[in-house]
Amino acid sequence: MSGIIEIIFAEFNYWIYVTLMMIGFYAMIAKKNLIKKVIGANIFQTAIFLFYISLAEVKGGTAPILLHGHDGADAAHKAVSEVIYVNPLPHVLILTAIVVAVSTTAVALALIIKIYEEYGSLEEDVILAYRRQLQPEFSEHARQKQEGEQ
Amino acid sequence: MKIIALIAVILAGGMLIYAGQDLPAFGDPESPAYQHPIIEHYITHAETESGVGNIVTALLANYRGYDTLGEVTVIFTAGMTVILLLRRREI
Repeated sequence: MSGIIEIIFAEFNYWIYVTLMMIGFYAMIAKKNLIKKVIGANIFQTAIFLFYISLAEVKGGTAPILLHGHDGADAAHKAVSEVIYVNPLPHVLILTAIVVAVSTTAVALALIIKIYEEYGSLEEDVILAYRRQLQPEFSEHARQKQEGEQ
Repeated sequence: MKIIALIAVILAGGMLIYAGQDLPAFGDPESPAYQHPIIEHYITHAETESGVGNIVTALLANYRGYDTLGEVTVIFTAGMTVILLLRRREI
C-alpha cells in the first residue's frame, strides 16, 4: 500500500497538470459562453506550462542563475561544479510559450468583442440560432434536406 | 451534451495519466532531459559565451535568438490583428 502511495506521490506533478488540463478542456468543450471558453483555453495552457516547469525541476537544485558574480571563466567553472542548477531549457521554452499564450488571448478577446457587437450575445447557442435565422443554408439540417431533394 | 463532454474529458485524462507513468519522477536528476550533454554545456559555458549570469537570459537571447525573433513576429502579428479588429473607422 505504501508503495502505491509513494509511486503516486513521486509523480504528483503529472496528476496536478492532468487535473488542471482536464478542467480547462472541459470548460472549452462544455461551456456555451465564449469568455468561459477563452478562460478554459488559458487554464489548459497554464497546465502545459506547469508540466514543462516541473520537468525542469531537479532535487536540491536552485534557479539557473549563476551564484558567483562576474569573476571570469575559472571561477565560473569552479562555482558551477559545486552548485546544482535546474534544467534551464524548459524555462526558456515556456517563456516563449507564455508570450504566444498572451497573444492568442488578445486576439480571441478582440474577436469576442466584434462578435458581441454583431450578435449582441456571447452565448454560443444564441449566436448559432441567430445565424441560422439570417442564413438558413448555414443550418446543418437545412443543408442535408437540400442535398436530399437534389 | 455535458455527459458526452465529461466522458471525453475523463477518457483523455485517463490516457494522460497512463502515459505519465513512464515519465521520470519529480526532481529526478537521472531524467533524460537533464542528462543530455547540452544542459551541462549551457550551464558551464553560458557566461563565457554570452556574458550573462542568468542562464535563462543567455539561452533566450543568445542560443535561441531566432526563436525569440519569431516570438516577436507573433506579438507583432497579434497586435496588428487586435488593432485591425478593434479600430473604429471614421466615416
